[in-house]
Order: sequence, then C-alpha cells, then structure tokens
Amino acid sequence: MDTPARRLIAAHRFGLAEPTLAQVGDDAAAWLLAQIGPADPQRGDDLPDTLTALRAHADFVRQRRQAKADDKRAGELQFVAHFRELVRADTRARLLTAATTQRAFAERLALFWSNHFTVSMAKASARGFVGAFEREAVRPHVAGSFETLLRAAVKHAAMLRYLDNDQSAGPGSRVVQRRLARAGVMGAMGADRPRITGLNENLAREVLELHTLGADSGYTQADVTEFARVLTGWRTPGLAALEGGAAPPTVHFDPAWHEPGVKTVLGRRYDAGPQALDAVLHDLAQHPATAHFIATKLARHFVADEPPPAVVNRLADAYTRSAGDLPTLYRTLVTTPEAWAEKPPKLKTPEEFVVSSARLLGLGASAFARVADGGIGALGQRVQGAPSPAGWPDRAEEWLGPDAVWKRVEWATRVAARSARLIDARQLAQASLGPGLSANTIRQIERAADGPQAVALLLLAPEFQRR
Amino acid sequence: MMQRRQLLARTFGTFGALGTLGALSALPRLSVAALPAAGARRFVFVILRGGMDGLSAAPVPGDPAFAAARGPLADFGAPALPLHGPFALNPLLPQMHAMYGQGELVLVHATGLPYRERSHFDAQQVLESGGTRPYELATGWLGRALHGRRAVALETAVPLVLRGDAAVDTWAPSVLPEPSPDLVTRLQAMYRADPALLNALGRARGLRDDPAMADDTAPGYGRGAAVALANKAAEFLQRGSQVAVLDVPGWDTHVNQALPQGALSYNLKTLDAMLAALRDGLQPGGAWRQTVVLVATEFGREVAMNGTRGTDHGSGGAAFVAGGAVNGGCVIADWPGLAPAQRFEGRDLRITTDLRALQRTLLEEHLDVPRAQLDDIVFPGSAKLPRVDLLRA
Repeated sequence: MDTPARRLIAAHRFGLAEPTLAQVGDDAAAWLLAQIGPADPQRGDDLPDTLTALRAHADFVRQRRQAKADDKRAGELQFVAHFRELVRADTRARLLTAATTQRAFAERLALFWSNHFTVSMAKASARGFVGAFEREAVRPHVAGSFETLLRAAVKHAAMLRYLDNDQSAGPGSRVVQRRLARAGVMGAMGADRPRITGLNENLAREVLELHTLGADSGYTQADVTEFARVLTGWRTPGLAALEGGAAPPTVHFDPAWHEPGVKTVLGRRYDAGPQALDAVLHDLAQHPATAHFIATKLARHFVADEPPPAVVNRLADAYTRSAGDLPTLYRTLVTTPEAWAEKPPKLKTPEEFVVSSARLLGLGASAFARVADGGIGALGQRVQGAPSPAGWPDRAEEWLGPDAVWKRVEWATRVAARSARLIDARQLAQASLGPGLSANTIRQIERAADGPQAVALLLLAPEFQRR
Repeated sequence: MMQRRQLLARTFGTFGALGTLGALSALPRLSVAALPAAGARRFVFVILRGGMDGLSAAPVPGDPAFAAARGPLADFGAPALPLHGPFALNPLLPQMHAMYGQGELVLVHATGLPYRERSHFDAQQVLESGGTRPYELATGWLGRALHGRRAVALETAVPLVLRGDAAVDTWAPSVLPEPSPDLVTRLQAMYRADPALLNALGRARGLRDDPAMADDTAPGYGRGAAVALANKAAEFLQRGSQVAVLDVPGWDTHVNQALPQGALSYNLKTLDAMLAALRDGLQPGGAWRQTVVLVATEFGREVAMNGTRGTDHGSGGAAFVAGGAVNGGCVIADWPGLAPAQRFEGRDLRITTDLRALQRTLLEEHLDVPRAQLDDIVFPGSAKLPRVDLLRA
C-alpha cells in the first residue's frame, strides 16, 4: 500500500481534489495511469456543437442587418444576450464535468490542453464556440499523439475564427486578384501603395509561438508570413452556406483563397494546396523545440512554477523518443520522482480552487446553478474567456495579488455559509488532506467559531489553496 | 522623402534632484492612513496591451507618405486634431488634445522597446521588466524603483511591472459579500507558515479597513468600468499611494480596425476618458500638478494595412506623457518617415526613441531615483540613453 502522502498528491496535485483519499485506492500511480485516455464526455443536455455556434453568429448578423442597430452600446448588449444561453451551457458543462468526474487526472489534462490551445470568448468572433471547441478538438484527443491534437485544434472552426484565419487570403489568390482588378489598382501597385495582400498573420504566429515551437526558438518573421500563406484557404462556412437547408462542413479548404506557389517554412518547402497544412503541422510537431516547449509547460503544471531542467529534459526526451505520444509523456510524468515532492509546489488557479471546492464539499450542479461560472469570474478568471491566445498563466505570482486572495476569502465565506450545515470540516479535512495538514491548520479549523467558519477555513487553508 | 529631423529638441535642463532616498524609504508601507507628504509626486503607468496602432492614435498627416501608406486607415471619419509639425491626434482623443493645448501632454512618436521581434507576450515582458531581452529579468522596472513608495495596481493580480522586493497593493471591484474581520484574523493565524498568502491577505485587509475609501463601484466590462478604475486610481493617489498601474487590454487590431464601432475606436475613447478621469480626480489638493502619467504599449503595428483591413504586429509606435508636472504641448520624435525605404524591414515604423529613455528620465527627475540605480538595477545597460526633456522646471 502506498503512503498516505502519495495518495494525497495523486488526489490533489494530479487530480482536482477528492473528499476522501480512499477514492485513490492503494496504489496512487496506478490510479493515475488507469485514467489515461480521452476525457469523459461533458455533462449536459443538448450541448451546442460547432454548427450551432456558426448558425448563432449567422443569425445575429441577419437580425442586426434587419434591425440596423447602429448604436454601439445597444449592439453590444444584443450581441452578449444573443449568445448568453450558449455560453452558459458551455460554462456549466465544463465546470460540472470537472466537479463530478471520477477521472480527475484525465480531466485536469483536458483543462490543461484547452488552455494550451486557448480559444476565448473575450473575442467576439469566438463567442459561442469555446465549448464546442473543447468537446470536439481537445477532449477526444488528450491521449493520442500531440500531432493529432494540434491538427484538431488548428483546423477547428473556432480556432480559425478566433485567430482571424477565416479572413486571411493569399496575396496572389483568385479572390484577391479579382478584388484588385475590380478596384482598378492592378498595375498601379507602387511601393507606397497599401499592402493589399489579403494576408493575416495572426494564426500562423500564434501556432508557432504558443502552440508548438515557443517564442525565441529560432523562427523568423519570414517563417510566420510563409506559414500564414500555407494557412490561407482554411475557412468556415459563410452566411449563404449556413442559411441553406443542408448542414455544410464546419471547416473547408477554399482554393480560391489559397496562395499559389511553393512556401518555405523553417527551411522546408511545401507545395500549394490543402495537404501543405498537415505537412507543416507534422513537421512542427516533430520539431525538437516543440518537444522542449510542451515538456516545459507540462512540468510547470505538475512539478513547479520554475520546473527543474532535468525534469524538462526527461519529458522532452520522452516526447522525442515517442514522436509526441502523449500517454508516454504522462507516464513519464507520473514516474518522475520530482513530481511527488511533499511540499505542494503549485497554487491553484481560481477555476481550480472553485472546482476542487465543489468536489470537496460535494456541491455538484448546485455550485453552478445561480451563476453559471460558480463565481470564478469574480475571482479574476473568466471561464472560457482568457484575455489572450496565450491562455491563463500557470505561475503562483500571477494569482497572488492581495485583491485576488481577498476575493477567495469572500467566495469561501459565501459558499461555506450556504453549504456548511451538514459538513463536519474537521472530519472532512482529515479524510481529504489528512497526511498534509499542519498542526496549525488543524488547530484553526477545530477552534472555528461555527460550522460555516470552519468550512471557510478549510477551503482557505494553505494545504487546500496549494496542490 | 522627408528629412529625418529632431522636432522640438530642447536644451538640457538641470533637474535630477537626488538624495531623498533615505526619507522616502522611511515612509510607512502598510498604513493607508499615511497621506503622502504635501507635494509628493505621483506616477501612473498605463499599459495598453495588444500593441496600440500608433499611427491611428497619433497620425502623421504631414508626412508625404502617410496617405498612400495608410490607405483607408488614413480616414478617421473626422478631421484629425492637429499638433505641432506633421503630427496630429485621432479625433476620438479630444480630452488629450485639450491637455496638449494646456501644456499637459507630450506625444512621443516612433518610440519603442529594444526588442524587435513581434510577439505580444515577449514584448509585454520586456515592456514591464525593463530588460532588453524577454525573460532576462523576472521583476518589473517600476517594482525595482519603488524604494518604499506605496504602489497600487487597479487589477486583481500584481502585474509584472510592479513586481520586485516590495509588496504592492491590488484592487478590483467586488460582487461578493465582505468576510467577517474575525475570519480574516483567524486566517492570518493560519497563514503564519505561508508568507505569500499571509502578505497578500494583510495588504488586502489594510485597504479595506480604511474608512475614507469610497465604496466599490459596480463591476462590469467596457468603458464605464475602465473609467471607474481610473477614478479609483486617483482616489488611491489622493490617499497615500504614489504609484499606480492601470491596464487597458484589447489593442490587437488585426481585423477591421478603422470601423467607427470597432475595437480601436472603442479603446481610444476609453483611453481619452481614463486620462480625463485621472486629471479630474487629482485636481483637488493640487495633486495633478505633481503627477506624471506614462501611457505605453508593447509595440506599434505595421505601417500598411493587412489583408483584413487591420494591421499586423510591428515595431515603432506612439507613447504619451501627461500630467500637471509635464512640460507638454509638444511632440518629441526623431521622425524616420513612412516611405517603404524608411521603414524597419520595409514594414514597420522605425524606432528612433528608446522607450526606456522616457521611463528612465521620469524615474530620475520625477521620482528622484538615483542614476546609479537606474543604470544598474532598474534598467540595466541603459546608462547611455539620453535624457528626454519632459517635465516642468
């Protein structure tokens, strides 16, 4: 039988908290390894798919045209209202699944990859898509090869819209050439003319910087531009296609928007056509810089904010040896001694704090009934609404502002007041965190003025704020 | 082709009062009740995240290449507000234009960081850390220059720029009920062995316990919320903080940036309203006369429009220095020109003024940070940068 300390780490650091360590069983590593596989289907009825989100956007554009709502403020409110139910359903599905799954390690990995491949409703063009993206592109692929996951994420309608690829056209593509001819500027493109290329580099740059190689890994501005050319033509259906009776594919390759000619990315040449994107993604997935970047992010999530280079190298080696096989990477992680250090190396993010609290207290759907996000937004982390494509930060210092800590206290106070009546915080603390509890924390919980205060102290204990 | 020229070059002044460090570090750190000494100087840093398009915020219609280079982006739907020389302000910045007219705003153009790549995240790291390369420094230039001054960030987390040895305050509006003082006292006992949590909680409590602070404004998104944060910043600066940091996200305008209802228009109006709110909130007691506001972004955007009526990541851009302590009403720029041959890599507005020169000068002459500290600790490797004439004598 494993030591209680190891079962504690499996439940809280690798998982999302368990009310009792009995859940982990006798062998902590075996409990984790048995979970490696696709994430659970999300909980929720009739959860929206990508086509639903595409149609919601098309509907909004049509309604807006009819209403001619010129007032910016009114337009904004209508837009938010139009997607409210979609967004709520997505938020609840994500949080309720995380708060109730029996496979919390697999779930944590799904949340990790959803953040790595951030699509955020902070950008209007991605609103309503984030849940569908997580369900379709991320959750089924968290235990395959990185390349498969990368391909699913980059070629998903949500990502193409979020990072503007939908609107990016090759400078020499048929649509741009037609547009130029119509505008009558063909042949008059002096050096001072605007760069009417049709190209938008946003997705190309972020795939290289945030999804695969990482910043400062040696690619150049020319690589970004060339990769952007490879990406041209990968689009989502327009209004006309969505208004027809038959369901169009959510993503298609439109040769009229694609830049003709050979492109060179990182010194390799790719012929024009739809096959080039898969080829570039394949080469990116096999690149040593990608191995190192993914290893670093995983190690940061599970081992330390500043992971030891030896751990990163071990994970990067595992990545390279297995050609980016994610289960191999997870097994290496679980068998890495540094990942089992007794002192909790990580501070929970607001979402992790709320989800793990819901698991600890067994709140289930009630945690997300009144407000769909369970209050996570008020703690400084807007669910499915990261401020940038880089996703949410994974370092304690980002979440340790005085105001951030204060809001956790406020949140815990309210949740404890609502749910503490039937909970014995002393018993729960022992069952869930027993081997990790300090004498001081036990004393503070035991001496609490009343039940709700004891629960609030348990949720706010350093042993529960950290993992 | 336009000549490169120094616009409104000024003679070197004799500012740089040194040697008050001892007195400053003696300021109490945790008591909000301690008001700044009469006449204490305030410094506000406004970070525009995402890469503000400097040529939209501060167009240069007097550059012979401007109209052709910008195409549809040269049309603002209303006449640009004229400044000196070839420069102007976007018509959505009327309050800032008024400040310029009153000598309380300087436009610095063709400015940027030593960093020349085009990654938001790396560039923001450099903008906030004060290094020359991303991740060379792990703390912030303003954090390293605090020396006991009380600082506040109007957001939930401590931004990198304020990280350093000293603890700083953060504040954001709340929708949750206040916890009981009893619980907080017990938590402080429970956090004895966790200094990071203990310190954050202690500082948050200190802010809440000050009865003079007004009640929270309603939270939310959008311009009202941003202006409310600027109001709150002014309140903090009237109540003992000497340094404040405000964050305005959303400047990454790859698509349709010229639309009147687009994100850029919205952001410009927000910025204009925030600076006006800071000015109005700091007028009582004359604090505005002792205030400098630096507005900067991580990089400018490409000169030419991209294929989706927006702009992709570039290099040089615009920064603003505002406040009653500013010797404003002028443009500081060693203008490189906008013609393709004059651009950096044929794409971007060339950087001719290192942003760190502004940051250094303001710290030295407004906050009395000793030069040796600036050279070695606050902006390592910046000793050779020239001072910039920004402040009233």
